Amino acid sequence: MSSQSATSPQAAAAISPREKYYFLARRLHSITGLMFSGFVCFHLLVNATILASGESFEFCVEKIHILEHMGLLVPVEMATIFFPIAFHALFGIVILLTSQPNMTDYAYGGNIRYTLQRWSAVVILVFLVMHIWHMHWLGKPFGGAQFDPENATSTAASAMQSWALWAPIYALGVLATAFHLANGVWTALITWGVTIGPRSQKVSGYVCAALGAFLLVAGLGAVRGFMTYQIPADGEEAAVVEQANGDDH
Amino acid sequence: MSKKVKVNIKRQDSPDSGSYWQSFELPVEDGMNVTTILLRIAATPTTVEGEKVAPVAYDACCLEEVCGACSMRINGKVRQACSALVHNLLDEQPEITLEPMTKFPRVRDLLVDRRRLFEGLKRVKAWVPVDGYGERGKPDRMSQPDQEESYPLSRCMSCGCCMEACPQYNDKDDFVGPHAISQAILFNTIPAGKPLEDERLDALAAAGGIAACGNAQNCVKVCPKDIPLTTSIAKAGRATTFHTIKRFLTR
Repeated sequence: MSSQSATSPQAAAAISPREKYYFLARRLHSITGLMFSGFVCFHLLVNATILASGESFEFCVEKIHILEHMGLLVPVEMATIFFPIAFHALFGIVILLTSQPNMTDYAYGGNIRYTLQRWSAVVILVFLVMHIWHMHWLGKPFGGAQFDPENATSTAASAMQSWALWAPIYALGVLATAFHLANGVWTALITWGVTIGPRSQKVSGYVCAALGAFLLVAGLGAVRGFMTYQIPADGEEAAVVEQANGDDH
Repeated sequence: MSKKVKVNIKRQDSPDSGSYWQSFELPVEDGMNVTTILLRIAATPTTVEGEKVAPVAYDACCLEEVCGACSMRINGKVRQACSALVHNLLDEQPEITLEPMTKFPRVRDLLVDRRRLFEGLKRVKAWVPVDGYGERGKPDRMSQPDQEESYPLSRCMSCGCCMEACPQYNDKDDFVGPHAISQAILFNTIPAGKPLEDERLDALAAAGGIAACGNAQNCVKVCPKDIPLTTSIAKAGRATTFHTIKRFLTR
């Protein structure tokens, strides 16, 4: 024990696991949120390449899947995306349960964002489960996994166009994510003691709002891009893929 | 002078009994505040229905917003009864609504037990250690900028407004409260408080400490003393970050 704690050795001995790891867990919650934020920025920007052309998106997906040939895609995905967001979501539920929102009594900007941060978290959690089922190979055993990296653009577009409600669901998911991410980065800067005074917090607020708005535009653009993409007939697509492969070799 | 004000009060007879509403009507006086209203009701406790009832129990002391005793929910928002002037309140809405604070156990009517507030100050050791026989000598002098930064924090009067408005301060968590975080920063800044600096940071890095803050920032909005509570909270965030890393590396 440190010399200063001589007054309370009993208190130090009685520290519960919750007491011991609470701070660490809260800070990990912040770090994992930032990690997933990085992924979301990357993910939405890659998706937005559909606005350039179907081939652009396919090109990006192909480059990402270089990791697969190295046997690294799944480990990298698990370590930097899945486990962080799983921890963030699970511990987020714990945090959510300690909250007692009072937005109607105290309708201040910060308090409204605090409440929206919690509502958007719930929206994102539901959306993510649907999204992973819908697009990711993890959804395969449950009849999902409509996205195939080998035919990235056409399968993503047909997945998006397979149900009329996917477009509004994805738009809502993107909206909740853009807000939660922007506000989360803003609060993380306070949590870690980067922005301390009211003025710096105001400035960082504008920067984070701009980031959120940018991601919202990119994400909604991607949704629109896939909704309006003309899926080529089987023969045509084979030709496109052939051509793309031909360019590479 | 003949203008009257209707006051709706949320009452409760004992800590365990349920609450109920009663309305009173009384003439508006010049410079009247909410404490005056409660004083007048105590003199003639008759409801608008003409029923004679027990006087409304309430807390008040200094009547000049420095003691923190008379915090209550006035028209839905927490503030001091003594500095809530009736003519200002009537500009906002035609009637006045008084409720006890919700985050502290109710004793009776508008009286609450604010013990948890002081327990928070104890958790972060918000004091200058002077026990014992040893000569401590004079603490270092504070620089002028440090004094100017610390003085606003010393205005805290333990009124409970920041806790009442905080969505993270409730029965579901053991959050120490914005006031305690700010006092910990105050005593860690003043030279006489330095000997307990690490222990205060230990307390802030414990469960229910700084990490329980959800950054809703209501505290700084409702603080009647304009204390920069969110600045203290961010400072505590930075200090606990370095403190826990140091603790880990030196262990």
